[in-house]
Amino acid sequence: MANGLFWLPDAADAESPLKPAELQILRSQYEKEGEYVSLQTKFNYAWGLIKSNNRLDQQEGVRLLSEIFRASPDRRRECLYYLGLGNYKLGNYAEAKRYNDSLLDLEQGNLQAQSLRQLIDDKVAKEGLMGVAIVGGVAAAVAVGVGMFVRGAQRGKR
Amino acid sequence: MTGRGRSTSPRRQPGHSRQASNDDNISDTRQIEAFGRTVQATASQLIFPGNDQHGTDPYKSALTSVQRQLRRPLIQRSVFSFTQQSPRELLRGKFSTSEVEHRALSYIPQELIRTAPAGQSPFSLFEGFKASLPDTEDDGRGGRRKRHGRNGSKLLEGPQEHKGPPQLVKMKRERDKLDHRLEMMGIRKTMCASEIREIDTKIANMNTMRRVVLERLAGLEQEEHDMEVEIGDLAERVAEMQEMLEDEEALAKQSPSLIAEGEAERRAADKKLETEEDDEEAEADMDASFMSESIYGKLPKAQESPRSKAKRRMPKRTISMPVLHEHMEPGTKIRELQAHNDVITAMDFDAPFGTLVTAALDDTVRVWDLNAGRCMGMLEGHLSSVRCLQVEENLVATGSMDASIRLWDLGQADYNPAQAAASNNITDKSSEAEDAEADKGSDAALFTPAASVADLASQPPPQGDAMADCHLFTLSAHVAEITALNFRGNTLVSGSADKTLRQWDLEKGRCIQTLDVLWAAAQAQTTTVNTSAAATPASESGGWWKSGAGRLRGSAEAAEQAEADFVGAVQVFDAALACGTADGMVRLWDLRSGQVHRSLVGHTGPVTSLQFDDVFLVTGSRDRSIRIWDLRTGTIHDAFAYDQPISSMQFDARRIVAAAGEDVVKVYDKADGRQWDCGAGVLAATAETTSRPSVVERVRIKDGYLVEGRRDGVVGVWSC
Repeated sequence: MANGLFWLPDAADAESPLKPAELQILRSQYEKEGEYVSLQTKFNYAWGLIKSNNRLDQQEGVRLLSEIFRASPDRRRECLYYLGLGNYKLGNYAEAKRYNDSLLDLEQGNLQAQSLRQLIDDKVAKEGLMGVAIVGGVAAAVAVGVGMFVRGAQRGKR
Repeated sequence: MTGRGRSTSPRRQPGHSRQASNDDNISDTRQIEAFGRTVQATASQLIFPGNDQHGTDPYKSALTSVQRQLRRPLIQRSVFSFTQQSPRELLRGKFSTSEVEHRALSYIPQELIRTAPAGQSPFSLFEGFKASLPDTEDDGRGGRRKRHGRNGSKLLEGPQEHKGPPQLVKMKRERDKLDHRLEMMGIRKTMCASEIREIDTKIANMNTMRRVVLERLAGLEQEEHDMEVEIGDLAERVAEMQEMLEDEEALAKQSPSLIAEGEAERRAADKKLETEEDDEEAEADMDASFMSESIYGKLPKAQESPRSKAKRRMPKRTISMPVLHEHMEPGTKIRELQAHNDVITAMDFDAPFGTLVTAALDDTVRVWDLNAGRCMGMLEGHLSSVRCLQVEENLVATGSMDASIRLWDLGQADYNPAQAAASNNITDKSSEAEDAEADKGSDAALFTPAASVADLASQPPPQGDAMADCHLFTLSAHVAEITALNFRGNTLVSGSADKTLRQWDLEKGRCIQTLDVLWAAAQAQTTTVNTSAAATPASESGGWWKSGAGRLRGSAEAAEQAEADFVGAVQVFDAALACGTADGMVRLWDLRSGQVHRSLVGHTGPVTSLQFDDVFLVTGSRDRSIRIWDLRTGTIHDAFAYDQPISSMQFDARRIVAAAGEDVVKVYDKADGRQWDCGAGVLAATAETTSRPSVVERVRIKDGYLVEGRRDGVVGVWSC
């Protein structure tokens, strides 16, 4: 799908937050429009929230994007990318992977989606590694302790 | 050592297999199997670390059972997804309520994701975002910062900054900035346009849903109506049975011989009934023969046995309220009937989808069932054509040119709506197919049209004597034709060409009061300053009304003018009476005193229609205007002008409808304050067919259900 290189933002773009003033402008625009808020305003606000470093804001951004997804069938594929990106930032790698992989299923040639997939995999591996290493270390310590106890008991028997 | 071994192998192998396979689908069984094998291998390594033979057997069996468990796809998938997540994520997902809440709120089912269509808009949301972001960049830094796509031009301008005087440079930069903003505007406009398109699609879907639900409503209403008919039937039979039982009981107290006689008769009647076709009338017949022979013969004979059919009352709507027409688009045609072959002179109906009574210049009065769209019968008895009529529940009052008023009770009619519907089905299907093809809007298919305009021939003729028992009594004290009448409760007021108004008591059937309009008008004249005719009470000066006395058929004047009735319209409410006369005056009478207590001056032509409620009185006249009067002050509240004389007008809670000499009905919506046209002429104007529908003569409206009668005898029913 030849949508141009700048159809979707890079993942790095999501790491650079907006200035608080800018975010406030977007927020006030969103709230001003009330019940019949336009798609663009909602997206702008959601994207600004995702870019921020505050976890609550990121969650709110993802929630708004899921609403946009439901409301507007025309924009669903784009929203998949943003949902993947948002969940990646939040640390919900399983969800991020689900969205991103679905997008890649639909649009194989999407560069941003491919790079996002790579990022997610790396992150999962790294975190998984760390986590399991911790668990493994704990388990090892426990095993050693049990072993010593058993040996002690055996020696005690003899 | 073993711990570290454990950490690496399960991690790497699935990763490898993942990279190896092309398809990254989570539910890929290949991957799951690979993973399963990996786990198995690792587990076997761990549990049999070396040559330990002792503990293998129990471990082997345990392992095989675990293997079997792992083969189950659900468990495989859950374990597999376990590896997709990081442990921290897992913990968060399980134990943090806000996290769980958030995930629940923003969950999107896989189905929606899978079927996401390719976007149709030229601009992405992100591009729109960049376009709408407030341009907070400072002038100096705008050129040097790297920006995407559209702002590439700025990058080019950067090195040119230093040329020229600073003011010029500054202005150039301003211009470029504004150019850029203009481009962004274009993007934002396109975004809005695409949003509008999406909303349109959604509206179309909603309309389809609305149509489906409206059809369902129509079906339910039909069922409701049928059920009411059945209930009416059963209620009657219950009453009859009860009466019979009571009679039997009373009779049982009398001599037993008569009981035997009654029994014998009953058996004879039963045998007679077996030969008859209609079993349902058995009780009624039995009742008739029983009563005519026994000692109860002294009682007036209720029915003669030859009459086989029991009277079926018209189903009165007790609980069900037809609301279907309120949900249809305003201006939708519900039905069209070829009621008569001549100009419709009078028309009224009692309730939406109820009973309609029409009278025309062909001297007939017909009763119609608006639900089935079928003629129920004719009210016969008048010697000439009916000029005015009113229908209120089952009571019909008709005033005719033969100077008499007749009262009819439609409850006595012999009408079987179920039979009507059954016999109509054959004709319905053919006309329904026509309507389904015609592009009149889907609401036309909701109703089984009993007779389209072209379908008159196939309609079964109404039973000849269906309405024979309806006539109650006749009021005949007037000496010239009755031109207007109105009744409410037990009081009926009629206006006639003999220039009098008469008040009647419907219980006794007598005239209570006669009001001489001329005399009252003269009284008012002597006390107030009047601009027009200075007529003396006794003279019948022509300055009063345009046409002279009464009807002038065949005069040189135009037909409309010739039919200016002396009393164009009346309405009565308790002791208040309002009448509109040919001199353009509206007089408000007090029936207790018989005096005019107020005259409303304003119309310059004969008043043809009048209606009042608590606050306003609305009149229509031949001077092409409708006036709305405030009853408290007696002054004009509003007025509307039309192109042709108004021949008929009525209002309900929300609208005022008028027949203004066109082939459409003029509707004024009180809520919106807007005027629009409703009727056959609306479609004809756009379709440019050769045969235009004829001029609307009479209109009636009730709760948005509009009935109009035309000059060629066609009656149209519309939702307004």
